[in-house]
Parts: sequence; structure tokens; C-alpha cells
Amino acid sequence: MTGIDATSVMYIIEIIIGGLLVAIGVHFVPVGGAPAAMAQATGVGTGTVQLAAGSGLTGLLAAGLMMKMTDDLLLIVASGAVGAMIMIDATMVVGNWVYIYGVGAPPASAKVNYDPITKLPQPPYMAPGTVGQGIPTVCYVSGTIGGLLGGAGGSLIYFALLSINGNPGLSGIFAIGIFLVNAVLASWNIQGTIEGFHDTKFKRWPRVLQAALLASAIIGVMAVMITGGA
Amino acid sequence: MSVAAGGGAPSKVEPMKLRIYGVVGGLVGIYLASLLGPMTGNWASFIAALGVIPAVVLGANSVRRVCSYGIGTGVPSIGMLALGMGIVAAMFGLAIGGVIGPILGTAIAMGFGYLIGLITNKAIKFNIPVMEEGTMDLGGAGAITLLGLSVAVSGSADYAAIQMSVIATGYIAVVFIAGSLAILHPFNANLGPDETQDRTLTHAISTAALAIVAAGICGIGTIGLPSVLTVIVGFLVWIVYFKKFFQLVKRDAAGVVGTGLLPPSAQ
Repeated sequence: MTGIDATSVMYIIEIIIGGLLVAIGVHFVPVGGAPAAMAQATGVGTGTVQLAAGSGLTGLLAAGLMMKMTDDLLLIVASGAVGAMIMIDATMVVGNWVYIYGVGAPPASAKVNYDPITKLPQPPYMAPGTVGQGIPTVCYVSGTIGGLLGGAGGSLIYFALLSINGNPGLSGIFAIGIFLVNAVLASWNIQGTIEGFHDTKFKRWPRVLQAALLASAIIGVMAVMITGGA
Repeated sequence: MSVAAGGGAPSKVEPMKLRIYGVVGGLVGIYLASLLGPMTGNWASFIAALGVIPAVVLGANSVRRVCSYGIGTGVPSIGMLALGMGIVAAMFGLAIGGVIGPILGTAIAMGFGYLIGLITNKAIKFNIPVMEEGTMDLGGAGAITLLGLSVAVSGSADYAAIQMSVIATGYIAVVFIAGSLAILHPFNANLGPDETQDRTLTHAISTAALAIVAAGICGIGTIGLPSVLTVIVGFLVWIVYFKKFFQLVKRDAAGVVGTGLLPPSAQ
């Protein structure tokens, strides 16, 4: 067990910032849940935690790889962010292939009349009785931003943990734990589904800040007091 | 979110009773296994895995209590949260607690869980009456499940031993996912208007048994032959309780009929 000094306070702050980034990042990811799996809602057809964990863990791997080469925080966080962005983008592209070529549904958002990025009208393409389908451009861009924030947050947590205990295995599984707690809190905040930054539910993000702040702070204090052991 | 009519699922077994069984049973298993470990050459490590069963039942029951209110995100999220809280608290307890590590880890996990419940009700405005209690039980169940399966893999509740044989080897990932699936799957599979507590909890015992089998297979790589016993015990428990679960499914179903094979024309 190690005590708490100025350096560990800095690591705790890094863990908290990482946790907040993860919690906010989740709000950007177009999560459609079960209805989207049947192409009856916009977004990727799975739950928030699965999407966040998938992209976040890829980010952790990318960050871990970069940590072998350098100990520059910026490069490591950037590597983690890019890793997560690639993963979430690949998921969305393949999801769109399935929706477009498999199901035969054009991507359309139910939350806006015109896509804020392409300015294309959405309602004509929406199948009756559904709340949109597929991953339209605005959701895709939003999801990429979500991957950036989540990956950056995850790798920041991992960097802080590894600097404390020097044990990649322990840091990795701890980072996953912190990542999941924040992702679940965020997914509860959006109540399961969201289209992205253009969704009205997105305005709820300040609520998750308090929750993620407290949760990350407690975990951060615990995490810095654990040594690598063995 | 939708609030289930009547506020929460009807329970035959009281949550307090399950909490005591889960926490005490799990901790007794962990301590017995690590005490008897050196004497029996790790042949007692399956006891820690058996202790996981009441903890998983506790976890599955609190998933059932919280999720019957409808949390909007699907049941898996709460199982992941349980193990997410559990892993940090359990490792913290082990690292600073020494002999009382498992007890400390479980207590911290439960306290942390209570806090998470409190902030989800207050900050995220869930307003689920049993939320604090539910996440407290989940934190405890997550920590004990993680510790119990880890002890089954490493044969000892010593922090350094778990570090070496569970975390450094990567078996922690198996323990993490198998443990969280054991807790989240029972309610996820049984939910609906006809859900009954005994069926869900019987299913929880069978999923816990599968987690034990997974931990046993991992243990073959670390403690060797004694872990085969864990696998066998896990399988036996699974066979008995899956059969019981299937009986309960037949009891609760409107009808169980054989459909036969597809007619040739439908192919």
C-alpha cells in the first residue's frame, strides 16, 4: 500500500478526467438498442455498454501498444483515441452495410427533419411506424466524436494506473472496471438509446457529470493506494 | 423509464436472507479454501468456487429487484456495473487488508455500491426505491464472485498469489466476464410478466456453476490437477440445477409441446 502525496493526487485527477471523458463520450455514440437491431430505430443495434466497452477496450489496446514505445502522455492518449475511433467507425460502417444492403432500409434520423451535416431531408426516408433506421451521417460523425472522447478517457485512466503500479495486467483490468462503471452511469442517464449530439436526450449530459465525478473520484483514491504487488 | 405495476417484483425469499447467505457463504468459501489450501495441496480450492454460488444468487436477485422497475438500458449493463465496482473494491481490499482482505473488499464494494445507487437516484433521477439496496448487494456480490473465482484459480486468497496466477496470466478476463454473465443472465433470460423468483434464482445457480467450470479450466493452467475437481464439481452442480430449472420452466409454461422436425417442403 502506498500513501497519498502530490503525485498521487495528480493521478487521481487524471483518473477523474478520464472517467468524465468516458461518461460524456457515451452520449455521442448512436446507441439504438434492441429496436435498432430490428432496423426500427436509428443507431447501432446493441446496448451502450457493449458499444462503449468494444471501442474503449480497443482504445486501451492501442494506448498500451503506444506505451511500449513512449511515455509521452499526449501520444498515448491520442493513440487510444484513434484506436477507439477506428473501432466504433468500423462497427458503424458494417452496421450500415447490414441495414442498407441486408435489411434494405435507408439510414434516416427520427430526431431531426434535416441532417445537420448533409442538410438532406430525413422524414421521406423513414419507414412508417419506426423511429428511424441505420446510421445517418450526423450519427456517424457523432459516434466518431464519442469514440474519440471514450478512447482518450480510457487511455488516460490506463496511463495514470500504469504510472502508479507498473503492472499492465492490474492496470488494464482496473481501467476496464472504471470504464464500465462510468459507461453504465452514462447509459442510465440516456436511458438506453440516443442518436448523438443532435438528440434532445443529449442535453442531459450535465447530470451524468456529478455521478461520474463522484464515482471516478472514489475509484481513483482506491486505485492509487494499490501497489503492483508480487 | 417504465415502473412495473405494484413497484418491484414479488419475492418469496426475503432480500435480507439472501444477502446474509450470499455474503457469509461466499466469504466462508474463500477463507476455507485459502486455509485448507496449503494442507490439502490446493485440493480444497473448489470450496471457494462453491462459495460463489450464494453470491451469484444474491447478485441475480438484486438484478431482478432493480431491473423489474425497468432501467431502460437492458439488463447486461447492471451486471457489468456489479463486476466493475467489485473488481476495484476487491483488489483494494486484498492489497491493503492482508488476512481480512476479502472481508474488507466486500464491505468496500457494498459501500461503494450503495453510493452508486444513491447518486443514480439523486443525480440521474432514477427514483427507484430499491436502487441503493440493489446496487449495494450487486457490489458485494460482484466482489465475492470475483474473489471466489480468483481463489479457485490461484488456490490462495493472498494478494501476491492472485496477482501472479490470475491477473498476470490474464485469467482475470475470464473470471470477470464469466462472473458478470452468471449474475446478469438469469434475470435477462427469465424476465417478463410470468417471471418467478424461484425459477430465476435456480437459473442463477446453474449459471454460477458454469462460471465455476470456466474458473476450473483456468485453474488447470495455474494449480494443475486439483482444479479438475473444480471443473467436475461445477459440472455436477450445473447438471442438477439446470434440470431443476427446466422443470420450473415446464411448470411456468402454458404448454410444452414437441414441434417435430421441419417438413421437407419448408426447407
